[in-house]
Amino acid sequence: MTTIIETKNLCKTFKDSAQEVHAVENVSLNIAEGEFTAIVGPSGSGKTTLLNLIGGLDNATSGKIVIDGQDISMLSEKQMTEFRLRNIGFIFQAYNLIPVLTAKENVSFVMDLQGRKKSETNARTRELLEAVGLSDRMDSRPAKLSGGQQQRVAVARALASKPKFILADEPNANLDSKSAQHLLEMMEKLNEQEKITFIFSTHDPRIMAKAKRIITLEDGKIVSDEYK
Amino acid sequence: MIINLAWKNIWRNKTRSFVIIGAIALGLFSGTYLSALMTGWVMDTVNADIKINLSHVQIHDSTFLQNSDIGAFFNKTAVEQQFASSNINGKMTCRLKLNGMLASANNAVGVTAKGIFKDTEMTVSDIATQIPDSFGVFLPDDARMPVVISEKTAEKLKVRLKSKIVFTFSDIHGNMQSLAFRVSGIFHTSNGLFDEANVFVRYNDIFPVTGLPDEAVHEAAVLLPDIETCALDFPKIKDLYPQLKVQDWKELNPMLSMSLQWTNLMSVIIISIFLFALTFGIINTMLMAVLERTRELGMLGAIGMSKRKIFSMIMLETVFLTFVGSIIGIILAVALLLPSLQNGLDLTPLIGNDFEDFGGFSSIVYPILNVEMILEIIGLVILAGILSAIYPARKALKLKALDAIRV
Ligand SMILES: Nc1ncnc2c1ncn2[C@@H]1O[C@H](COP(=O)(O)OP(=O)(O)O)[C@@H](O)[C@H]1O
Ligand SMILES: [Mg+2]
Repeated sequence: MTTIIETKNLCKTFKDSAQEVHAVENVSLNIAEGEFTAIVGPSGSGKTTLLNLIGGLDNATSGKIVIDGQDISMLSEKQMTEFRLRNIGFIFQAYNLIPVLTAKENVSFVMDLQGRKKSETNARTRELLEAVGLSDRMDSRPAKLSGGQQQRVAVARALASKPKFILADEPNANLDSKSAQHLLEMMEKLNEQEKITFIFSTHDPRIMAKAKRIITLEDGKIVSDEYK
Repeated sequence: MIINLAWKNIWRNKTRSFVIIGAIALGLFSGTYLSALMTGWVMDTVNADIKINLSHVQIHDSTFLQNSDIGAFFNKTAVEQQFASSNINGKMTCRLKLNGMLASANNAVGVTAKGIFKDTEMTVSDIATQIPDSFGVFLPDDARMPVVISEKTAEKLKVRLKSKIVFTFSDIHGNMQSLAFRVSGIFHTSNGLFDEANVFVRYNDIFPVTGLPDEAVHEAAVLLPDIETCALDFPKIKDLYPQLKVQDWKELNPMLSMSLQWTNLMSVIIISIFLFALTFGIINTMLMAVLERTRELGMLGAIGMSKRKIFSMIMLETVFLTFVGSIIGIILAVALLLPSLQNGLDLTPLIGNDFEDFGGFSSIVYPILNVEMILEIIGLVILAGILSAIYPARKALKLKALDAIRV
């Protein structure tokens, strides 16, 4: 399998007035295409910080991240935004859909940003919302959808741009267990059938159980990295 | 797509959007309404003064204007023929103008007697129509020595229709001449100063005692189709009479043309003050709109919306807000003005008739909508909107994508 994410001695230090927090410390890892990887660890262990670094939302203090052969620390902020648009899908804990747009429009939005053809965008939006089981709620705004449904729209949105991989920071944290289960099954299916690469963080043991690789962080350091 | 999103975003906080739209609408409404009213008022005054008093162009001997000297005359036929042989589309009438004393048994007032030719006078000035019913007629042909005076003069002299009054003036040789007239009509215009100063008699009644040579007149007045034509024809008329002093209505009544310019200036000042206040309102509103959306704007950046697009989105939201407000304000103003465009707006209950004594302001106003001005105002408002959006939009750019998503 080809490696799409490679980090080398990645460090992120937050400097508060008094203390320094080493949120991510010397993390070196490779993630290959098609992985279904969970990043786990107690609260404060650096999961979010690591995902933000990989997603190019934050700058590393030291170390290197290479995505698909591109050292992202070389990119300007503008280039990085464009890079995210083309290569990375995001799913957030709080769904973070655009509240004034319908499910359909939320999914199309990224493709519009990419400048895809209207016909292509419409077809793919329909397809994706069907795939996440929301073909009957395409014209609903987020406020009219349940948390589980919103998160499924978010998955469809993340997939819409045909990214190289999807980063999901605790995607289940705000969901009830049934919706969480459902969402995970959907992600699993997308991973198996469509070969979509998922990297998600969680501290829910039931969700960890589904992962094919579990990277455990503690105090910003990798303490274990297991494949199943 | 950004347009769609921006449009939807302005409706997410309806109250706030309506408040700012309402403020813009109200400002533009009052700006448009007031300026239409003021323009209408001034234009009414201008037109009334042109029709009754000034005409579009007046011609005098150049010394006449300095001292109204009876000897500063010119030859009527020569001037009329020159005008007729030019291709200018307009009407001309000639007048004698004699300063003197008008006396009744009770009182005496200083006036200018205009010795006019009724046929041509009525094609140039509306004075004959300013005599109300049952206040007589304008210098009837069969009357002996008729004079038309204003209601004000009649009151001062304590005279009425058919009363006998005497006009005394000095002729070309400096001898006092007195002529007895009988009041044939009493006029009333909206220009109190004009009313007090002028009386009308027939040229042929007063000419014989002036001692002036045949065909002598002091003034030729020209009425052109409208003010716009006047602007074009005035220089031509000027060229026609190099020896005489030719003036257009603006020169004849600088106050009048100035008040027209003042009106426009006032509108601009009012609108500018409003726009200045508006700017703060917009900055405040958009700043709130941006700050309360920190998380969302960060998310947009995270999923790959460029800063340029985010900036454009915020700018568009502002432009939409101001545009909607402007349109509503202007539609409101036009809707309220439409009925009064034809019939005029009677301001008597507000201002009374007092203004009439004061240089011809009528209490009934015919508002004038200046489309160019309206477009200019819309343009200015949108410009103010754009300028005041820059700060909030820049603020939006400073937000880091990251801060938005942290839970
Ligand atoms: N912006 C920040 N400023 C200062 N400290 C931070 C910031 N973000 C995270 N941290 C600290 O870094 C550590 C890791 O945090 P985080 O990555 O959010 O952990 P997790 O997602 O695993 O709960 C924590 O100690 C946290 O307090
Ligand atoms: Mg976290």
